[in-house]
Amino acid sequence: MKINILYGTETGNSEMLCEDLESEFGDDHELEIMNLAEVDPADLDLSVFHVFVSSSYGDGELPASAKPFAEKLDNSDTDLAGLSFAIFGLGDSDYETFGQGSEQLADMLVKHNAQQVGPRVIHDAQGDDLAEDVAFPWFAERVAEAEAMSDAA
Amino acid sequence: MTRKIAIIGAGPSGCYLAQALLKQDATVEIDIIDRLPVPFGLVRYGVAPDHQGTKAVSRQFARLFERQGVNFIGNLDICTGAHGGDISLDELRAIYDVVVLATGLSSDRKLGIAGEYLQGVVGSGVLTRAWNDHPDSEKAELPVPGKQLAIIGNGNVAMDVLRILSKQDHEYDGSDFGSHHAESIAAAKVERIEVIGRSPAGIAKFDPVMVKEIGKSAGLKFEIHDLDLGDASDAENPKIAALNGLAEIEPDETRCTISFRFGWSPVSFVGTDGNLTALHIARADGSETLELPCDMAVTAVGFSDDQRLGRMDLIDSAADLGNGRLDDGLYAAGWFRRGPQGTIPDNRSDSQVVAAAIAQDLANMPESNAPGREGLFARFDHLTDYAAWQRIDEHERASCAEGRLRNKLRTRRDMLKLALNVTETTQ
Ligand SMILES: Cc1cc2nc3c(=O)[nH]c(=O)nc-3n(C[C@H](O)[C@H](O)[C@H](O)COP(=O)(O)OP(=O)(O)OC[C@H]3O[C@@H](n4cnc5c(N)ncnc54)[C@H](O)[C@@H]3O)c2cc1C
Ligand SMILES: Cc1cc2nc3c(=O)[nH]c(=O)nc-3n(C[C@H](O)[C@H](O)[C@H](O)COP(=O)(O)O)c2cc1C
Repeated sequence: MKINILYGTETGNSEMLCEDLESEFGDDHELEIMNLAEVDPADLDLSVFHVFVSSSYGDGELPASAKPFAEKLDNSDTDLAGLSFAIFGLGDSDYETFGQGSEQLADMLVKHNAQQVGPRVIHDAQGDDLAEDVAFPWFAERVAEAEAMSDAA
Repeated sequence: MTRKIAIIGAGPSGCYLAQALLKQDATVEIDIIDRLPVPFGLVRYGVAPDHQGTKAVSRQFARLFERQGVNFIGNLDICTGAHGGDISLDELRAIYDVVVLATGLSSDRKLGIAGEYLQGVVGSGVLTRAWNDHPDSEKAELPVPGKQLAIIGNGNVAMDVLRILSKQDHEYDGSDFGSHHAESIAAAKVERIEVIGRSPAGIAKFDPVMVKEIGKSAGLKFEIHDLDLGDASDAENPKIAALNGLAEIEPDETRCTISFRFGWSPVSFVGTDGNLTALHIARADGSETLELPCDMAVTAVGFSDDQRLGRMDLIDSAADLGNGRLDDGLYAAGWFRRGPQGTIPDNRSDSQVVAAAIAQDLANMPESNAPGREGLFARFDHLTDYAAWQRIDEHERASCAEGRLRNKLRTRRDMLKLALNVTETTQ
């Protein structure tokens, strides 16, 4: 299946996770990885399944590389009806605003009529798990769901 | 022809630079060199021990050495001219096609006021290195906190220092803060901490989350002075809001009072018999002065060059400092290039810019037969490698106390014992 993977990052953990997804799933699916900093919400291909990966900063805000995308989306009436997406967060449970960056992004996409597939899962930088160990099974499940949806359609 | 690149400094900027260079050109051979036997710079030795989530960025850097073919060469001190060290910068440039200086800025900036050398006054760099068990701290004479402390500076490092001096021993679960440090701070039973900032609160340098975090420790009471200074009393301002949040905390029992004062400059430290007894501060316009009794004062007013690499000359004569170009085949990145401002993410974008410049220059660089790392291996037998760090890492994780993540080896000697001897016995 064709899947676009879009990341928002500051220290690069989210980008590295996307590269890991590419190595793990790139043989079975057609993956394209993009930095949200270089994506305009109006240009999203609504027929392609999108996976967002984003960390959180400040007080539960989006990371710098996701901010321009979010601002553009927020200030526009871009209609994302037809777009299905899944979203994975990176965060740190030391912060009360754990995972709120990815939450903001998810809410915003849904508000613009995109459809979220499956739960948003957040990797905790405090924990022992590596981000890829949490994200791989999550990704496989989301892709299976997206495939089932497109088969049904 | 494989280009040989030496990045000096295994902190965030050096590691991000290697990462970005490999994305530009996967054929280069990269060695990251550090004067310490172990990698990661301030991620290991600056970022607070109770901020493990931030330290976790080292997992990204580990991958360079574990999977991406970058070589770590530790325990090699690079210097210019008369500063000792193992090898001079010029000698290193002769061995490699490209040398990048990413050695950070580790010296504490001085206030330049009377009494700064009294026993009891300490720089935040010296102190946070000690708290992080940096091997240079072995010989550092650290003041022991008493009942009344002062912190000068309002940046995030000052907030780290304040948090650690005010947290309780049992609040370090999941950290790698040495019990010896936590216990000596707890034993002091600090009663009052004065935090002095030059700017009005609304434009202080700290991030509001750093201030909020301090309020999480039980038994602290906060006095916030001078909030009405200038036009910075705006309650919507997130910094002011964070401070107001602290002021509302009503502890059942107060073990320590923390007083924030804004718009004051330090004037002098005074003491008796060489020991600090008070800090004098004044308003910028001299309209008011204040004496704050204290037995330990931490200056957290930024960092400067340790002058061992002739940084000022290199920066002054730089060909294109904005992109990190110092001279033919010589570059700078991170704090060394930009000065001591900016967080880990800032170094990432900075290093991406410098990597692009290097990749561009490599295309036009004449052929060479620089020996690279072989030139170092032929000359030195005390170098440490990434496998040595992995042994140290494993040892530190295995030997830690209940509730802690690691127990850092505190001396270069202990690190080298594990780093160098084991290689011999396993052969
Ligand atoms: C106390 C403190 C706490 C901080 N906390 C945070 C935080 O929580 N979050 C955040 O984002 N940022 C934080 N920062 C900022 C962050 O640490 C810096 O932005 C970053 O480390 C700068 O990276 P660098 O690679 O330029 O320098 P450094 O990290 O200092 O790395 C320089 C490396 O060069 C080596 N070196 C120095 N001289 C030589 C020599 N002559 N020969 C060989 N090697 C040499 C050093 O051993 C070191 O490993 C903190 C800074 C400090 C000082
Ligand atoms: C200054 C700072 C603020 C942060 N704020 C939050 C936060 O509010 N909520 C959260 O879940 N994680 C927070 N984090 C943790 C990061 O989201 C986490 O470290 C993540 O792995 C970073 O991924 P990235 O490298 O892709 O940016 C913060 C980290 C830092 C350094």
